[in-house]
Amino acid sequence: MKQSGTTALLQGAVQDLASSVVSDLHGGGHAPPADPAGGPGRDLELAAARVLGADLLMPALLHRAPLTQDRIGLVTGTLDAFPPRPQAAPTVLWSHWAMARAAGLIDVSGAAPEAPDAAWIDGVPWPFLTHQLAVLAPLALPGLECAVTRAARDRTLDVARGFVRAVRRRDWLQAAGAGRWLATLEKVPDTLGLGTGLDFVELMGGSDARVLLQVRAARLLGTGVLV
Amino acid sequence: MTAHPVRRVEETALSWLTEHQHHFALGADALSPEGPVNASWKPLGELAQVCATLSLHTPPSDPLHARVQDLLTFAWHQTDDGALFVRLQQAEPFATYPLEVYAAFAAAGLRHPDYEPRAATVARTRGWQLAEQDPTRRLGVVLAERHSGIPGRAPLERVVERTWLGGLPEPWTFERHSGYALTHVVFHLTDWGRGGPGLPAELAEYVRDWLPAWLATCLEAGMWDLSCELLAVAASLPHPPDEATTHEGWTRIAAAQLPSGGLPEEASGAGDFAHTYHSTLMAAFAAGLTAHRGQGEYG
Repeated sequence: MKQSGTTALLQGAVQDLASSVVSDLHGGGHAPPADPAGGPGRDLELAAARVLGADLLMPALLHRAPLTQDRIGLVTGTLDAFPPRPQAAPTVLWSHWAMARAAGLIDVSGAAPEAPDAAWIDGVPWPFLTHQLAVLAPLALPGLECAVTRAARDRTLDVARGFVRAVRRRDWLQAAGAGRWLATLEKVPDTLGLGTGLDFVELMGGSDARVLLQVRAARLLGTGVLV
Repeated sequence: MTAHPVRRVEETALSWLTEHQHHFALGADALSPEGPVNASWKPLGELAQVCATLSLHTPPSDPLHARVQDLLTFAWHQTDDGALFVRLQQAEPFATYPLEVYAAFAAAGLRHPDYEPRAATVARTRGWQLAEQDPTRRLGVVLAERHSGIPGRAPLERVVERTWLGGLPEPWTFERHSGYALTHVVFHLTDWGRGGPGLPAELAEYVRDWLPAWLATCLEAGMWDLSCELLAVAASLPHPPDEATTHEGWTRIAAAQLPSGGLPEEASGAGDFAHTYHSTLMAAFAAGLTAHRGQGEYG
């Protein structure tokens, strides 16, 4: 199906931004700043930043990598531009909260608001649990506790099953997000083969910078790095 | 698991099998080395295998017991009460499929006095023991030898280790071919729900961990045949998966059954006998194992 022009532009902006985070994550220096003439418009940038959420700040959280003014402006601008409605989907509320918390931790903004309600994730079937966790992969950061990380820890085997299902469905983004969660969890069954699984997900889906970002984050978190 | 959808699947699947039993009849070319084994002996052996198990697990007071017995008797008569196995061996002495099919009947107590010593003579040769087969099939042959009174020579553990399941592969590498290999290793080791040597604890734990993910993806893909095999595997485990896993499976299988009781192999597949009989057999098999689990044997 042909994408609308706006959708394609947004996806392109998300890919560019994700690639720059991957680069930062490896200490490879920042991607070249956007060309003011040819880069995406401000609205598009903010929308792309909203998609990546707290992961924009992951290099700073994990590596203390210096943040450019441009990146700081992008984070604060996104938080201001997309305040979630109280009735928004739980993943929207939690994504916003995760970004606000990350920004607060590195003094980009004030302290994060109170965490949203987490009752929605209690006892849900494991495929749905994995889907939701993959959407909230930016919360998978060792050393940063919240109700969602506790839910993932309590249902490690279910998340591992979700990883298997996602790979079988060739849903690389979900597989990468679930793999990132598993990299932060103890008691993942050895038979899962998470390491080779992440390699496989990168092999098959790594042309998508969002997938690559989650796989690289998973490998980094698997080394025991803490926030 | 409420018994209702499982029982309904078993009843309707067995109705379909009874209605279509003439399709399982051996043709005139059943003894020809060039005969279509996969369309003649294989379906007949599978019918016998499933009915041998259901007969054992269904109380004689249950109307399904008589239906299963009738199907088993029909299948045995197709082999001329076992005499065709002797003739088949004369035509193809080193083919393993006659013994594999015979073992299904033997499991139900249907034996032919001349066939077993003849099969044992051939099975003593190095040529028979070195037959090049994939590991899962090899396991089936080794266990078929045991069921047919032929002393086992190959250490079972080593045969199992060479199978896909025996190697504990990464569960996300599960695909159609490996899935069927896995289910059959379980069926062989549990003697198709009749006991057998059983699954080693490590394999049982592995299957219990990952079966929910395999079953979910097979159901989502409309792979009814493999889904039913996985439901049968679930019912064969010492500690079955949680009820939610199997309940979803049975709900979808019940919905996928045709009004006739037949179950197509695939949601998008053809509905003729060739593409329906095996999945319908597996539906009856899995339902029978599930419904009668832990209720004893009636052999």
